[in-house]
Amino acid sequence: MNTNDILRQFITTRLIPEGKNVHLSDSDSLINAGIIDSLGILTLMSFIEEKFSMEVQGDDLVPENFDSIKSISALVEKRSSLATVV
Amino acid sequence: MDFSYTDEQIGLRESIIKFARRELNDGIVQQDKDAAFPRESWRKCSEMDIMALPVPEKYGGVGANFLTTVISMNALGYACKDAGLVHAIATQLLCGLQICLFGSEGQKEKYLPPLCKGEIIMAQAITEPSAGSDMMSMRTRGEKNGDTYILNGSKIFITNGPIADVIIVFAVTDPQTMGLRRLSAFFIEKDTEGFQRSKPLAKMGLKTLQNGELFFEDCRVPERNILGKEGQGAIMLNESMEWERILLPAAHIGTMERILEACIHYAKDRTAFGQSIGKFQAVSSKIANMKMKIELGKLIMYKAAVLKDNRKRASLEASIGKLFISESLKEACLDAVQIHGGYGYMTEYEVERDLRDSIASTIYSGTSEIQTNIISKLIGL
Repeated sequence: MNTNDILRQFITTRLIPEGKNVHLSDSDSLINAGIIDSLGILTLMSFIEEKFSMEVQGDDLVPENFDSIKSISALVEKRSSLATVV
Repeated sequence: MDFSYTDEQIGLRESIIKFARRELNDGIVQQDKDAAFPRESWRKCSEMDIMALPVPEKYGGVGANFLTTVISMNALGYACKDAGLVHAIATQLLCGLQICLFGSEGQKEKYLPPLCKGEIIMAQAITEPSAGSDMMSMRTRGEKNGDTYILNGSKIFITNGPIADVIIVFAVTDPQTMGLRRLSAFFIEKDTEGFQRSKPLAKMGLKTLQNGELFFEDCRVPERNILGKEGQGAIMLNESMEWERILLPAAHIGTMERILEACIHYAKDRTAFGQSIGKFQAVSSKIANMKMKIELGKLIMYKAAVLKDNRKRASLEASIGKLFISESLKEACLDAVQIHGGYGYMTEYEVERDLRDSIASTIYSGTSEIQTNIISKLIGL
């Protein structure tokens, strides 16, 4: 599975009640849909930090980075490449 | 896993304990009756650099890691009998951490040095008359108008609110959404036009802590006073709560350690039916239970603090710790009154004050019920 699919599977199984039958595109707004709320983001950040061995800190902690599978995936890629450089 | 303190941490803990016993406990029964903020004790704590602990040295801080800060708060909670003062200091520390994490360079230079020296008292304003942990129900509005925001609304129960010089106020800046972009945070200085506050609210316990209402009526705040970015408020609150749910319980464990010692001393000293009451299992089991909860609470507190020092998420550990330690504190205080019998009910013996002070611990910073919700969510329920 690529990063987008890993994220999609997590979101539909953990963050959306009865979400296994929900179709979620890469660019659907998770915030506007109420999927990523104040509790949802805690769950999501815990997952991506553990799954992708990365840290989400400081300037990355903005809603835009968690609004869609595409933006979360971009954040994962950015943090992973920074970790590789370090 | 190594649970030993460094020499520096041992030294710091010992010096805080000595300082608190020498400087902070005189007249505490009267201060509790007067319900006045202990400014002189606040000043002494600032001279001890307690408020400066987690702030980088370049902003006037000590530059201690979070575990060291937690150990220090634990020591203060143990040796300082004024839980209101300890709570006020924890609030100052949390505001400092928020500024360190999200503040602009200009905001750090402006607010952190006086915060470290205790020259300004800080508060953060989240709770509203009809919105507590449900932050999305917040109604205080921050409407953008050119290069200013106009704040309207009110806050309630705000710790340090009636005496604060600078307050970090959370407000709705995107009312069209109920989601994560809804909130932003602003620095409001006490003399800002359109900002007013109530007298301190009378409370059951934590009497020296000053809690009150804040009112904003067309309160104009320059854009440069936004903390972090517009729409970042909900995420900042989540981050802040992680720190808060480790720091306050650290002090609570200290209080439990002091109560445990008082109970052991009393149970050995007081006799009934020809033996010390500590020999009766009904009493000793209460005290053993206190010890067990202190040791278990310390483990989750250390784990959460070390996670934060390693720049890891500790939402689950912070909620578990907050829930377990605050409920344990309340139980320990109630048991302490029971063990002390009639003396425990008397003000002079001071355990009744600890009980009154403990009640709020399962309410502020997210009630025990909210912590259970968070834990459930984080484990996939």
